[in-house]
Amino acid sequence: MHAEKVKHDFEPKIVAFVCTWCTYAGADLAGTSRMQYPSNVRVVKFPCTGRIDPVFILRAFQKGADGILVSGCHPGDCHYMAGNFHARRRFAAFRKLLEFVGVDLARLQFSWVSAAEGGKWVEVVTELTERIRAMGPLEEFKELELEECWSGKIDTPELQEAYKAIP
Amino acid sequence: MPKMITEQNLRALIDLLVKEGSRVVGPKAAGTMTLYEPLAAGEELVLTELPRRSAKEAFFPLCETILTYAKGEEGVQVNDIDPARFPETVLVAVRPCDAAAPGILDAVFSWDYDDQFYQERRKKTAIIGLACTKADDACFCTAVGLSPAETQGSDLFLTPLSGGGFRVEAVTEKGEKLLARYSQLFGEAGSAQPLPPAEPGGEKLELARIKAWLDANFESPLWQEIADRCAGCGACAFLCPACHCFDINDEGTEAKGARRKSWDACGFAKFTNHASGHNPRDAQNKRYRNRLMHKFKYYDDKFGKHLCTGCGRCVRACPVGIDIKAVLDEINSK
Amino acid sequence: MTNTAQKLDTIPLVDSGYWSSVTEAIRTEAERLLSSGEVTAVIGYRAGRRSGTALPAIATSPEQARELVFSPGCVNNLALYLTKAKKDVAKKGKVAIVAKGCDLKALAGLMGESQLKREELVIIGVACAGVYGASADRSLPLSEETIARKCRECTVHAPEGVDLTAGSVPALPQLSPEEAEELARLEAMTPRERWAFWTEHFSRCVRCMACRQVCPFCYCEQCYCDRNRPQGVETSPRPAGNTAWHIVRGMHLAGRCAGCAECERACPMDIPLNLLNRKMAQELKELYGHEAGIAPKEKGPLAEYREDDDQSFIK
Repeated sequence: MHAEKVKHDFEPKIVAFVCTWCTYAGADLAGTSRMQYPSNVRVVKFPCTGRIDPVFILRAFQKGADGILVSGCHPGDCHYMAGNFHARRRFAAFRKLLEFVGVDLARLQFSWVSAAEGGKWVEVVTELTERIRAMGPLEEFKELELEECWSGKIDTPELQEAYKAIP
Repeated sequence: MPKMITEQNLRALIDLLVKEGSRVVGPKAAGTMTLYEPLAAGEELVLTELPRRSAKEAFFPLCETILTYAKGEEGVQVNDIDPARFPETVLVAVRPCDAAAPGILDAVFSWDYDDQFYQERRKKTAIIGLACTKADDACFCTAVGLSPAETQGSDLFLTPLSGGGFRVEAVTEKGEKLLARYSQLFGEAGSAQPLPPAEPGGEKLELARIKAWLDANFESPLWQEIADRCAGCGACAFLCPACHCFDINDEGTEAKGARRKSWDACGFAKFTNHASGHNPRDAQNKRYRNRLMHKFKYYDDKFGKHLCTGCGRCVRACPVGIDIKAVLDEINSK
Repeated sequence: MTNTAQKLDTIPLVDSGYWSSVTEAIRTEAERLLSSGEVTAVIGYRAGRRSGTALPAIATSPEQARELVFSPGCVNNLALYLTKAKKDVAKKGKVAIVAKGCDLKALAGLMGESQLKREELVIIGVACAGVYGASADRSLPLSEETIARKCRECTVHAPEGVDLTAGSVPALPQLSPEEAEELARLEAMTPRERWAFWTEHFSRCVRCMACRQVCPFCYCEQCYCDRNRPQGVETSPRPAGNTAWHIVRGMHLAGRCAGCAECERACPMDIPLNLLNRKMAQELKELYGHEAGIAPKEKGPLAEYREDDDQSFIK
């Protein structure tokens, strides 16, 4: 039944921030329906997209994510009435800010996936994973993570190793 | 016989030092300002402007890692940073107000705790001082007992000459060695006269009198008056050559991370905030009081020195115009 | 008379009589308010020790009111002193505040966020010709060379909705919009170039927090970015944490920033922080028609929504 697993040179790390009521249930449906999607995605569950702070996105990039998905209920379906409406504005603004600082927005995907849309979940995740795979690793944040102010920098091989070990 | 060095040879000296593997740190153009930064070549040296940040960074980095940790199969592995690996450094064109600072800070970093990170960097650093020929209205080194031609703190001291080039003076043994080692770059000082030193303004301060007032005025309306204006940032402390408070933070994840030491400032509301939530300096007036007391009383009580070289950086940088010289003038006149 | 023509951009924008007439109007009003007991403190400016400088002053007596000034050195946005961050000032009772047009926008924003009540405040508006930029030579008069970047594009020289206007707006020349040009230059760059631009600036950040501390809208008693358990933003002044800090700050101010550019002025490392705020203001205007103004609004653009908001970026 399982499709042949293709070996790739680069397996991107994708973090998905999802709301528990719709998208998480949708992903669950994909799973119970035995639909296949890339295992690159790591799902982090929240009560609502309204709880997904832009800082989480930033921090995921800093800690090594190559691509990020934020997904929740369709407009009008929010379990808390308006959480996703607020989130929509916040993310509309945040992506503009990220773009202005120099982050490629192709690495950040937003979607509405309901509890019944297992198929859409698979489609969104697969498309994002393949897009990021084609783009390659997100180097900017990784390089930045290793940077030190000149005065605190020590150019020793051991320390360089130790730093590199920090994700 | 006194020595001299041309500007060209000074830059050549930097090139040579860099080639030999030393880290050479000096004033360098950085965007809209000048900062003490590592120089890749002598031509990068900027001689005309006082760097925005002080030179204390060379001994007391803005942020340094003191250990790293990683959780592996054999448990947690902690990697200490070995200070023996700090680079040999030559600090070039350091103004007297910056050069004087390490001499003041040595006392506290070798006091009850022997700070290996500071000590090692200090030991490995040679300071080439540069006399100031230009001052602005924030400069007040002469008011706190220093001068634009003060050689103390430098190993080698340069004084600009009227016809170009610098008169060179070896102040310490380290300086003598530099002079001997690169003797080919130094010439005999002829009859060229040094340029007149800068003339910082400001009334001279009677530091003993100020300290006596501070001794008697732990409680004073003055602190609240200043705190009403103080915005509570750390610009003053971070630009100061003598401020040396630091904070230690563990950053990373459960699996991997680092312990880092970085500058702290008494202006911050979280300065000296205890883990319990109690803060002995819970209001801005207590924090500003600490700033002045630490500089002109506590440090004097303990080590017989004051934590101010009159560089004027805090005066220039304060976003709400708090002028430490004006505050000291006021105390001086009480 | 010499024959040397004065460099065009160093010609004083206004004659010195303007400054003294604004100063006199502020003093007279402050003195009246304090001696009549209408207010217990007037937040204004007084001259600093160094020539051309001025600093925030809180006058509590008619004598102190006579020391208030208005000069090109009056750069601060005094709205800061009415926020929760400066509680000690509020304790002084009913206050009056000297406000330039840009400061009035901050006051309006604070009123919109229920941090201030208009009726509890006396506002002495200043008919403002502009103030010095952070790197200006303050021994020179206010000129095209020394004026702050934000003042080049000022649209609120004449204050509105104030209790008294000090002085009158002199005729002012149109100045080129340097900041708008810089913003356009950045927008035209590739993402990689912008990343290089910002990370170079952020790598110099020392995390002195002056940008936060002078901001009228950073009045949170516990800053999210100061917390370390859990930690959202690294507090160590390393390039990575600095970048995160400035992005988060830009986000937290989006739709709230009044554009006073105090963050940029206060930055000892000359980071052009107002470009971030201005970019966000521009985007929110485009997206939701929001603009910081002199009239308080009950809700900012990110505190409300419409069901038909744009969602073209969502799959």
